[in-house]
Amino acid sequence: MKHTYDAIVVGAGPAGSAAALTMARDGLKVALLERGNFPGEKNMFGGVLHRLTALEDVFPDFWDQAPWERHIVQKNLSFLTEGATFNVSYDSEEANTPPYNGYTIFRPKFDRWLASEAVKAGATLLTCSTVDDVIRENGKIVGVTLLRDNAELRAPVIIAADGVLSFVAKKAGLRRAKFKTSNQGVCIKALIDMPKEVIDDRFGLVREQGASREIVGCTAGVRGGTFLYTNYDSLSLGMVLELESLNEHGKTPYDLLNALMQQPQMAKLLKGGRLLEYSAHLVPKGGYEMMPELVGDGIMVAGDAAAFCIITGLNLEGINLAAQSGVLAGKTAIEAHQQNDFSKSSLSGYRKKLEDSFVLQDLKLYRRTPHMLHNNRIYSQYPELVCNVMDEIYRIDGKPKETMTKMLLSKVKETVGLKNMLSDVYSGWRAL
Amino acid sequence: MIINLDEIFDYTSFNIDRDPHIILDENICKECDQRACTNSCPARCYTWSEEEQKMTFVHDGCLECGTCYVVCHKDAFTRWRYPRGGFGVSYRMT
Repeated sequence: MKHTYDAIVVGAGPAGSAAALTMARDGLKVALLERGNFPGEKNMFGGVLHRLTALEDVFPDFWDQAPWERHIVQKNLSFLTEGATFNVSYDSEEANTPPYNGYTIFRPKFDRWLASEAVKAGATLLTCSTVDDVIRENGKIVGVTLLRDNAELRAPVIIAADGVLSFVAKKAGLRRAKFKTSNQGVCIKALIDMPKEVIDDRFGLVREQGASREIVGCTAGVRGGTFLYTNYDSLSLGMVLELESLNEHGKTPYDLLNALMQQPQMAKLLKGGRLLEYSAHLVPKGGYEMMPELVGDGIMVAGDAAAFCIITGLNLEGINLAAQSGVLAGKTAIEAHQQNDFSKSSLSGYRKKLEDSFVLQDLKLYRRTPHMLHNNRIYSQYPELVCNVMDEIYRIDGKPKETMTKMLLSKVKETVGLKNMLSDVYSGWRAL
Repeated sequence: MIINLDEIFDYTSFNIDRDPHIILDENICKECDQRACTNSCPARCYTWSEEEQKMTFVHDGCLECGTCYVVCHKDAFTRWRYPRGGFGVSYRMT
C-alpha cells in the first residue's frame, strides 16, 4: 500500500489535529495518522484545557462547540501537611463569562472532536496507524512507514506531533536518544465518580462552574505535585512526579497517590467517590532546556514531541502550546508548498513563528522554573512552614503571644532555615 | 477509595496484543544496580524477584506512559515501541 499526500501529520492529538485542520482548510491533501482506534484513545492529561487562542478564529464560539465538562471559575493553591491544609482560593465572576479561561475536558471526547473538525475540513484521518519509521531520501524526510500492511505514506512535509517520546523526531535525528530523568515527570490520574450535586456543594459551584486545585506537599518528599479538578459529575485527582526524584526515594506513584487520598482534608473532599478509570502518561516538564531540533529537511516537530510544556506549579500548560504550534507548523507547510521548497531553511520559518508567538516566548520566560522547582524544600518544608505559621496565628491556648515577626522568624529557622529562605525567594522571583 | 493495581483491568480497558510492544532482555536487568522500572512504572508491569534474581515484565496492563523507556539506564529493551494500531490501552473517559 503506497499513498502520496501534500503533508503527513503523525499524531491526532491537539497539535496534530490543529496542524491538519490548518492545512486542510487551505486545500492541502493531508493525512492525519492516529495509532489508537480513535483520536484521544491513548491521550491523557491532568484535566484543565486553557483557552485555545490559536483556534479562536476557526471556532469563534469554541465553548458552544467543543465537548467540555465544566469551565473553571475557581483556582486554588493548597499546601498540605499530614494533618493540615493551607488553601489560597481565587474565585472570579470574570471567569464566569465566555470566552472562558479554562475548561475541564476528557481527552477521548475532546481529541476526537478536534480531529473530526480536521476531517470536516478535508483531512484524511487514518486510525490504527502506528508509525514504524521515517523514509529518508537524499538526506530528506519524504514519508513514513506504518506498522501494518507494509504501508508507505509519502509527502514532501511531515509534522511530528506524536507525543512526548516522539520516535518520529528521534528517527529523523531531531531529538537526543536519551531523556534525562530530571526532565520527565510521570503523571498518574484517578478519575473519581461523584454526583454533580455533591461536587457543587463541596466545592461551592453552581451550574457548569468548575474548580481547579494545585496541591503542594504530601508527596513523601518526592519532587512533584498533585491536582484536583472538577468534571461535570466526576473528579480528576492526579500527581505529576519527577522521575529522578521518584527513583531516589524508591517510591511508587500509586502508593503516593493512595497515601494522599487518606490525608484528612483530602479524604473529606473525596468522600464517597468511586474509582472509574486509572491512567498515566509522561510529562515533558524540562521545558525549554529539553526541546529537540524543531525543524529538519521535510519535517517539523510540534506539541509534546517538541517538549512544549510549561509547569510552574500554579499553571500546567501544554494543550494550548500544542495547538498553537500545530497551527504554526501547518501555516509553514502551506508556505512551503507555495514556494515548493521543503528544505530545512524553508521550514525554519516555523521556528521564527514560534519565537514571535507566546509558545517560545513563554517557554523562554519560564526556562529557569524547572531549575527552581528542583528544590526539595518546596515539597515538604514549605508546606510545613506555612501550616505551622497558620497554626500559630489561629491557636488560642492561654499562652502569651510572640510578635508576628519573632514568631515568623522562629518558624522559618525551625523548618526551612533563614538563609535557604532568602535564596529560595530570590530564585523563585527570578523563575516566575 | 484506593487504587489497587490488582484490579486495574476493572478500571481501565485494554485490547491486548499477543505480540508485545516492549521486549526486555532480562539478563541485562540482572546486572542493573537501580531497577527504577520496578517502582516508577505506574502500572507495576515490572517485578524483580530477589529470590530468583529474575525480572518479570508483563505488557498486558501497560498504560503506554513511557516511564520505563526513560528510567532504564541500561537500555535493556530489545524492542520498545507503541503497540500496533488499535491495540493496547483504551481510555474511555479520563
